[in-house]
Amino acid sequence: MSSLTSLYLPGAVALWGSLVLALCTVWGYGQVLQGRDGSLVFARRAYSSFAGAVVLASLVLFFALATRDFRIEYVQQYSGLDLPVHFQLAAFWAGQKGSFMIWLLWGVLLGIPLYKSAGRHEPTVMVLYTLTLIGLVLILVRESPFVMLTETPRDGKGLNPLLQDNWMVIHPPIMFVGFAASAVPFCFAMSALWRRDYSSWAARAFPWALGGFLVLGGAILMGGYWAYDTLGWGGYWGWDPVENASLIPWLFGAVLIHGLYLERTKNRFRRANYILVTLVYLSVLYGTFLTRSGVLADFSVHSFVDLGISGWLIALMAFFVLGSLYLLVFRLREVPTEPNVDPLNSRGAALVLGTITILTSAIAVTFGTSAPLFTAWVGKAAQVGPEWYTKVHFTIAGTVAALLFYVPFQTWKGLPKGELLVKLLPSYAGATVVTVIGLFAGVSWFHSGYLFLVAAALFSNLHKMILKGRTAGWLAAGGYLAHVGVMIMFVGILASSGYDRSTKVTLQQGVPTQVGEMTATFKGFKQKTSPREKDALIVEIVRENGKVVTTYPKLFQNARSGQVMANPDVTVFPLLDLYVSPIEYQPGEAGATAEAHELAKGQTVKLQGLDVQFLGFDLNAEGNAMEQMAQGGKMTIGAQLTVTPTGGAPQNVLALYRVDQARGMAEAPPTRLPGGGSVAVGAINASNGSVRLVFDGVLPIEAVAGSGPRLSVDISTKPLIQLVWGGFYVLMIGGLFALLHRVRELKTLEGLGKAA
Amino acid sequence: MNKKLLGIGAVLIMAFAGYSLASFRTALTPYVDYKTARASAGTVQVAGGLAKASTRYDEASQRLIFGLTDEATGDLLEVRYEGVKPGNFEDAVSIVAIGRFNSAEKVFDADKLLVKCPSKYQGEEVEEKVYE
Repeated sequence: MSSLTSLYLPGAVALWGSLVLALCTVWGYGQVLQGRDGSLVFARRAYSSFAGAVVLASLVLFFALATRDFRIEYVQQYSGLDLPVHFQLAAFWAGQKGSFMIWLLWGVLLGIPLYKSAGRHEPTVMVLYTLTLIGLVLILVRESPFVMLTETPRDGKGLNPLLQDNWMVIHPPIMFVGFAASAVPFCFAMSALWRRDYSSWAARAFPWALGGFLVLGGAILMGGYWAYDTLGWGGYWGWDPVENASLIPWLFGAVLIHGLYLERTKNRFRRANYILVTLVYLSVLYGTFLTRSGVLADFSVHSFVDLGISGWLIALMAFFVLGSLYLLVFRLREVPTEPNVDPLNSRGAALVLGTITILTSAIAVTFGTSAPLFTAWVGKAAQVGPEWYTKVHFTIAGTVAALLFYVPFQTWKGLPKGELLVKLLPSYAGATVVTVIGLFAGVSWFHSGYLFLVAAALFSNLHKMILKGRTAGWLAAGGYLAHVGVMIMFVGILASSGYDRSTKVTLQQGVPTQVGEMTATFKGFKQKTSPREKDALIVEIVRENGKVVTTYPKLFQNARSGQVMANPDVTVFPLLDLYVSPIEYQPGEAGATAEAHELAKGQTVKLQGLDVQFLGFDLNAEGNAMEQMAQGGKMTIGAQLTVTPTGGAPQNVLALYRVDQARGMAEAPPTRLPGGGSVAVGAINASNGSVRLVFDGVLPIEAVAGSGPRLSVDISTKPLIQLVWGGFYVLMIGGLFALLHRVRELKTLEGLGKAA
Repeated sequence: MNKKLLGIGAVLIMAFAGYSLASFRTALTPYVDYKTARASAGTVQVAGGLAKASTRYDEASQRLIFGLTDEATGDLLEVRYEGVKPGNFEDAVSIVAIGRFNSAEKVFDADKLLVKCPSKYQGEEVEEKVYE
């Protein structure tokens, strides 16, 4: 624990104050629960003040980051003078302390609409919800972001260059909204058990569960897209513990919303939902423990630091595990249920099997991610690779598709098989067409069976969505739309990971190299056009159909850390993405490519990848050269060149030659050439009007292999990967429709309640 | 609950669990010391520091060979990796190699490398990257 004297007081006071106010909130609502209704106003005020204190503490941290107050250790660790403003502020959630802070901030803000809308559940829900927040406050009090350094450094350490990306500004905060929201349905469920009031919690928790599911899903998608599009990890998902830590609650969340749907529509799953909602919240805590305690440090690409809060996290988890177990064990049997008399071929039965299948996925991911922990108990710590997750999920996805195929047209009572078959005929037809197209496109027999199921499920949900949307309104059809999205994603996942082609190759500058059916040429560098950008590499790719694509992947060294960073170039075509990710650049032996050419006015020299023509001298490049000559001071002459890259448009380049007549010295700054390399004026021959040009980094026509600059790249094609994002958007929109539908339903319910 | 549904559900769960567990055992890659790695036939992972001046890289065939040293025991393991040499490889403070020992050629064939490079960010933390 940091002693008080070394804390930045405004922030520390706000944090400690928030702890006191949170305890007041619990006490106040406790009074209400003991029948003292007059305390409600106090409790609400205490909660609002608690929220205010947390907002204040966050503002203090934001202000410290914005003003670059390097006295504060957290600011010094994650920020630096060279950071632009948006990264300066995003440094808020760059470290662990700050990410707990943003989690707490969203948590207290969500609590305000929560207490206003909780109805008769308010006192119990707010006691429980505030307890979940107190857990976060305690961690922040223990590991305060407001610790001050004994001496003030002039500059901070800067933000990790991997995080200096626009996605960093938006992805982590959204993730924490999802984490914060997961506590709400949990508190409703526990409140229902506590109050023995089992009837209305599901309707109230449903919109929160859907909302949290959507936000968390959106954050996961952003993370995947960030990894794919900017970080150059090649894919969007690596089954890394940090990724899994957010996927597990999302999968449990998917099970929960189906369970809540069953409860709301058919009064089923009334007991199971208490367990599911607990699993969602506990998996958030468990994921936090896995990724924040350092237990998986040797098993992830992400960095972990043991902040020394493992014990606190375990205590927090134990508190909620034991508390919820107590309520579940002693109260769950009291929850009334209706006997399930559904026939096997009914909608209800299919939904039960579907939830079991997603539940299996959630449990499998939890199990796989935890492998290093439990294998360490029995012997050597071991982990499972992405192959295992893929294998397991291939089966799970197939089962999901098979169930989703017929469930839209299945009824609660169960249709006779013949009738169901007739209703599914259009979907069969659509799936057959898709599968035949797939077979022609080269999909294997094994995968085409899977493709058939997925396409059939896609069409049957689409079909049902249209039917339902027309009769009951489009919001009511959100579930079907979401399932269409899931199936589109499945197609994208199958195509992009089953049929991707990736080649790692080293390209000699200027030498076309065969890469699969394509030809790739490393053409040099493209100069940045603004200081915020980075120079890009130019890799020209001729595709098998003759189409020429110029890609600009980036490879740069972070000035502060010397760390080499790579940004891939992604070119999107209708059917596939062309993905060019740089690995390493070697400049080659010095001088190996430098060569000089004497050119008369109008003469052209042909080099590899570009032609250079000397147009003449520019005597007004930096003031009038004739006047400068007469004055005997510094004089500048420009050489006007036209540079034509092979297959590109001609460009004018001006190379300067500065002469200090008084000192008899000349200076010729190298000028970048389009397509890479540079040119400088070596000498000027005034008598015949010719110029001597010195080229660097440009290969002569007869290039010698192995001596020039070389670029190692990973060139891959990823068929239909856009469907992964596209499907996810559809899933999100469908979920949003469902959310709006449930909010409307809740309002109707409340209206009825008031009327009664 | 409908008995048939319960039955199908149970069969489904058992099938998933059985399948997952069966493939889980084979998919597990334990962290082992070099002695165990040399003796085992399956996929394992080994960790260590990069042995000084041990790196050889053949650009044409894209084959990287380097020595891994166990800091605790001083044991040395030769690792072979087919693929482009990771950037900043020589700066690596620690390398995790996942693969299997080739007892005929007395070399550890790595499918995947996890390279940790020193970083000045976040205190003592290191930057990591996976190469496959």
